[in-house]
Amino acid sequence: MKKVLPFIKTIKLGDVLIIFMLMGLIIFIINKSWNTPIGQYLKIEKNNEPPKIISLNQIKEEKIAGLLGDSNISIVDGKARFSKAPCTKKYCIHQGWINKVNQTIVCLPNQITISITDGSESYDSVNY
Amino acid sequence: MIFRNLIFFLIIFLCGCGQKDRVYQYKDYIFGTIIDIKIYGETENKSKQITNLIFDDFQRLHNYLHPWEKSLISDMNHAISTGKSFTIDDAEIIRVLKENTELSQKTDNFFNPAMGKLIALWGFHEDNIKQSIPSSSVIKDFVTNMPLMEDLTITNNTVSSKNKKFQLDLGGYAKGYALDRAKIILQNNNIKNALVNIGGNIIAIGMRGDRNWIVGIQHPRKPSAIASINLLPGWSIGTSGDYQRYFMMNEKRYSHLINPISGFPSANSQSTTILIPPSKNSGVLSDVYSKPLFIAPTEMKIEIAKKLNIKYFMIIQNDEKILISNEMNKVIKWIDLKDEKGITVY
Repeated sequence: MKKVLPFIKTIKLGDVLIIFMLMGLIIFIINKSWNTPIGQYLKIEKNNEPPKIISLNQIKEEKIAGLLGDSNISIVDGKARFSKAPCTKKYCIHQGWINKVNQTIVCLPNQITISITDGSESYDSVNY
Repeated sequence: MIFRNLIFFLIIFLCGCGQKDRVYQYKDYIFGTIIDIKIYGETENKSKQITNLIFDDFQRLHNYLHPWEKSLISDMNHAISTGKSFTIDDAEIIRVLKENTELSQKTDNFFNPAMGKLIALWGFHEDNIKQSIPSSSVIKDFVTNMPLMEDLTITNNTVSSKNKKFQLDLGGYAKGYALDRAKIILQNNNIKNALVNIGGNIIAIGMRGDRNWIVGIQHPRKPSAIASINLLPGWSIGTSGDYQRYFMMNEKRYSHLINPISGFPSANSQSTTILIPPSKNSGVLSDVYSKPLFIAPTEMKIEIAKKLNIKYFMIIQNDEKILISNEMNKVIKWIDLKDEKGITVY
């Protein structure tokens, strides 16, 4: 205690200001990164199997066997898309990239669904 | 002493993390679409067992009602097309037929399950859509002698029709009917909190713990939701949209929602969403009543909603402008403020 008191006495108004500014900056950055709607994970679901959840922060080509054959899912820089699909219409590929939480692409013919999650879901189901 | 208290607190605290607070989710593909069931507040065993009962019942309905695969209804359609009568020894299916007649008449035949042949002409009676436009003379010919539910004669358990073009397609009814079946099975098995989603049509049973079930509404042109709502206990939500079953030709979109007056796919809106309050057949109504609101010409839509007593509706028009009822506007939560700015409230 005797050693700490003289140290506190040396703190000036400018030091206090700098400390508060830095704390404010830290709070701002944490707040900003918490509120970002960009998702962290890709959830891959197929018939009667528990969902497979993989990180979006990687470059990966994921091959998933569906009802008709293999679908390829590309993951690049925090976003994902279907890059190859055995269905005739290729609607899933035309949907393009997704990266925001709860964005979903369904490939009905091959029975594969991909969606972006941040670990917690903001709604329970989607009406379409 | 402190350590013992800590252990005691931990035991009390961890007891609260029992499996009863969890939501169990199950998925299956029946009726050519995804079925998603969430059950809250039950053990895993019971949730799984009751979900399997529901999936079995849906498979049974699929075998009865499928419009183009081998089913009771396709057998009936075949008999009618050859001018024969057909016997159905099942009171449930007779009730379904009668309910379809009633609903078709109520909607001035904008919901017309008797025109299965027209849906097939457009190539939508296949898992992989054909992508071809029928010749206008064929369509004109069909529309001038349009088969209606009134053409179906039901005497006791025998059905027949004077119109050989009659072909029943319950594609706009079966998912809603399955929702009502799921509700009955859940209630009979004493499950108080669940959310059932059949190809986008959803019914809420009870709540998710201390909050309501929350449902996102799909944006018709983006892979994300446009808005969300709290689906109160017993309520159903249904959407008809041109973005699920359709094909593109010469940059024009042709959806499976066909106007019985013109014989062509309705092109005035992208999607129509309705909310139906708790009732015995709220699932059916959420499925069926979204069709006339989607198909009818823009100037008739509000009038039809009034006539059918649909208080909660949202229509996203082809120009992306949104017509919304006053009641719906009060309960909807927009995800993008830009969408909220484009609305017209009735």
